[in-house]
Amino acid sequence: MSEHHGLKGNGRALTALAIVLAVSFLPIRSSQAAEAVVYRLKWLFNVSVVGDLYADEKGLFAEKNLAVTVKEGGPERDAIKEIELGHAQFGVASADQVIRARSKGSPVVVIAQLFQVNPLQWIYRSGRVRIGNLSDLRGKTLGVTFGGNDESILRTLLAMAGLTERDVNLFSVRYDYTPFLRDRVDIWPVYRNAQGIILQDQLGAEGEETAFFNPAEYGVRFVANSVVTSEAMVRERGDMVRRFLSSLLAGWQMALEASRQPQVLEMLARFDPNLPPRVLAAQLDATRSMVRPEPNFSVGAFDAAAWRQTERIMLEQGLIPQPVGVERSLEPAFLP
Amino acid sequence: MLPRRILQFLIIYVLGICALLALKYGAGLSDYVIPGPDDLWRTGTEVFRPFGLDVLNTLTVAILGQVISVVLAIFVGVAGRRATWFGSFIKVAAYNVQAYPIVALAPILFILVGDGWITRLLIAAMICYFPVLLSVLGIMSEPVEDIEHFYRVTGRLRWQLEVKIRAFENLSKLTTVISGSATLAFAGTIVAEFIAANAGIGYSIRIALYQSDLSRILAALFFIGIVLSVYQGLLEITGALVRRTWAGV
Amino acid sequence: MRLACRDIRYRYPGSENELFNGLGFVLEEPGFHAVFGPSGVGKTSLARLLTGGIDDFSGDVAVKGLPIRLYSHNLERLPGWSSVGKHLSRITPPGREAQRETLVEAFGLTGFMDSRFSRLSLGQRNRVNLLRYLIQHFQLLIMDESLANVDEQTREQILLTIKEMFPESCFLYISHNVVEVATFCRKILVLRSPEKSPQAVFVGGQDRRKDARLDERRLQQSMLEIVNAS
Repeated sequence: MSEHHGLKGNGRALTALAIVLAVSFLPIRSSQAAEAVVYRLKWLFNVSVVGDLYADEKGLFAEKNLAVTVKEGGPERDAIKEIELGHAQFGVASADQVIRARSKGSPVVVIAQLFQVNPLQWIYRSGRVRIGNLSDLRGKTLGVTFGGNDESILRTLLAMAGLTERDVNLFSVRYDYTPFLRDRVDIWPVYRNAQGIILQDQLGAEGEETAFFNPAEYGVRFVANSVVTSEAMVRERGDMVRRFLSSLLAGWQMALEASRQPQVLEMLARFDPNLPPRVLAAQLDATRSMVRPEPNFSVGAFDAAAWRQTERIMLEQGLIPQPVGVERSLEPAFLP
Repeated sequence: MLPRRILQFLIIYVLGICALLALKYGAGLSDYVIPGPDDLWRTGTEVFRPFGLDVLNTLTVAILGQVISVVLAIFVGVAGRRATWFGSFIKVAAYNVQAYPIVALAPILFILVGDGWITRLLIAAMICYFPVLLSVLGIMSEPVEDIEHFYRVTGRLRWQLEVKIRAFENLSKLTTVISGSATLAFAGTIVAEFIAANAGIGYSIRIALYQSDLSRILAALFFIGIVLSVYQGLLEITGALVRRTWAGV
Repeated sequence: MRLACRDIRYRYPGSENELFNGLGFVLEEPGFHAVFGPSGVGKTSLARLLTGGIDDFSGDVAVKGLPIRLYSHNLERLPGWSSVGKHLSRITPPGREAQRETLVEAFGLTGFMDSRFSRLSLGQRNRVNLLRYLIQHFQLLIMDESLANVDEQTREQILLTIKEMFPESCFLYISHNVVEVATFCRKILVLRSPEKSPQAVFVGGQDRRKDARLDERRLQQSMLEIVNAS
C-alpha cells in the first residue's frame, strides 16, 4: 500500500493495467473454472439423443459449471472403451455392451437408464404379414443383424415360441433397407423411433400399411441405451457425476415436454434437415413414449428386472461365460 | 522365400500383440478394451476351425477376384495403350469406376446381383484391378524402342508381338504388381464381406465388432496375415518360375 | 539409283539452333559409303530422316530405286525369350536361309546361336543385330555404329564380306573411325556444322575389296581429305 502511495503516477498506470488484464482474462478464467467433460453418444445425432442435444443447446451443463463436449457415436465407437482409456468421462452404451464389459473386468458403472422400452423392434407390412403371436413367425423371413442385439432378442423369442432356425428364414441385415423395400424380407429390425418412422412414412406414401413387432409385448425386455461412467468417477468425482447427470436428465425431461415441442423440433430439424416436420414430430412422440412412458415418470430410472433378464439371455446364448451380477453395476445414487 | 515371409509376418504380429499387452498392463486396462493373453489363447483355440474355414472361403473369392481383375486390367491396358479415341474412352471408364466409393456402389450391386458371393467377387475385383490396370497401362503404352525398332521397320510388329515385348521387358514389374495386388484382392473381399455378405472372415470381423470382441478381431487378423503371406509367397514363387522359364534367368 | 537431298532444314523439337541449315547432296551409285562427322553434327538424324523416322523437316528428299531403306544402330536388342538362333530363324525371309548361315559363319557367331541375346558380349550383340538386317530385303541399309565394340580384325572381315555379298545394294556406314571409312568406303559424306557451307561434302575413299592391295599413299590422301573437309 505504502508503495502505491509513493508511486502515484505509476500507481495509476499500474491500476489501469491491472484492470485491463483482469478484464481480458475474465472469460479465460471462467472457462478454466468449468470442468471439461467428454460425453460419447452411442449413435449419430438424431432423435434418439434428443435430450442430450437439448441439455447441451440450452446450456444446462454450463449452468452446473461443466464444459461438455457431446460427441457423435457410430458403429465403430464404444463409449465404455473410451471411458476406460480416458478419452471420455461419460457415455451412452446398451445393456449388452455393459454386460460384456463387466464380464471382462471393465470398471463400467451405469448411472441412468434412458430408454425404458427398447426402440429396437421389427417393422412389417401389416397388410400382408400377420403377427398375432410368436408362433406366427414360423415360415417367415426374419431380418437379423448377426452379432447385434436383435440377434439375441430374436433367438430368445424363437426359443420362447419353440421354434428353431429351421422353422424360419434368417436374413442377414445391413445398413441398406433394399431387401425389405423389395419385399424379400417379412420383418426387418429398425429403431422404432428413428428409421422405423421414416420407413413407415415411405411405405405409407405408397399405400402400404405397416406395424411394429415389439419383443417387450412378448415379455422380452432387453435394455437399450443407458448412461455410463467409470467406477473411479463415481468414487472420486461424485459431485461432477451428480452435476452432469442432473443436467443431462433435466435436458431429457425438458426435451420431452409437450409444451417445448416446437423448439425441440426446430433443433432436431437443424441436425436432420432432410426430414419433413411431420416425420420429426412422429419420431419425437415415439421417443417420448419409450423414455418417459408415463407423464410423471422420472427419466433415467432403472428397470432392474429388465437388466437381469438381459443378462440371463446373454448367459443362455453363451455371449458371456458366467453371470456378472449386472445389478451391482447399476448406480442409482446420482438420480435426482 | 515362403518360410521367410511367414516368419516375418509372425514377428510383426507378435510385436503388435506385445505392444497391445504393454499398453494394457501399462495403463491398467480391462480385458474388454484389450484382451489378456489367456483370453487371446482361449479365443484363438475356440475360433481356430471356424475362422480357418472363413479365411479360406475369403481366399477363394480373393483369388477369383484377382484373376478377374488381372485379366480385365490386361484387357483394358492393352486396349487402352494407344492414344486413340477408344483407348481414351477405355481409360476414362476405368478411372471413373474406380473413383466411386465401394460403399456407394454396393447397394447397386445388391439390386443387380443380390448379396451373395458374386457381389463379394465383384467388389474384390474392383478394388484390386485399378493398381494392376495403372501398371499395365504404364507398361503397355511405353514402347521398348531398342527392341521394337527392328520389327517396326521390317513390318513385323503386330499388336501381339508388341504386347509380348513390353510384357517381357517389364516382367518383374508385372509379377511384383500382380503378387502385390493379392493384398488388395484380399482387402477388397474382406470389405465386401463386411458390407455385403454372410460369409468369410470379413463377415466374422463384422460380428466381432458388433460384440466389441477384440480377441476375435486379433484372431481374424492372425488368420488373414498367415493366409495372405502364404498366398503372396506362392505368387512370388510362381512369378520367379515364370521369369526363369520365359527369360531364362 | 538416286538419293538426293536438297535444302534440308531441321531443328530438334524445343531447340533454337538448326541442325541442318540447307543441307544438300546427291548419291547416284550403289556401294559401301560412309557418313562421317564429329559427334552431334546430325549423322543419326540424317539417317532417320532418310529412312522415314523424322518427317517434320523442310526441303526435299528425292529417292529413286531405293524403295526399302532400313536404319540399324548399335543400341538395338533382341527379345530375351528365346535363343539368338531361334530369333534369326523366325525373321529370315523365305529363301535366305543359306545367306544367313554364310553370314553367321563370316561374322564369327557360329557358336552362339543357342545363347540368349543378353548373354552375349557387346560386340557379339552388335554383330547379331547387323546380321538380322542384312538378311532382310533392302536397297539401302544405314549402319549406325553397327560394328562398335567389335575387334578390328573381325570388323575388317565383316565389312569385306558385306561388300562381296551385296554389291548391288547401297550402304551408309556411320562411323567415327577415319581409317576405317577411308579404307573400306567408296564415298564418304562428311557432315559439318550448320554454320559451314556447304554443310555436306563428298570425299572419295579407297573402297577396299577382298584380295585387293591397298595403296597406302592414296589412303593417306583420303584420310587427309576427310579430316580437312570436316
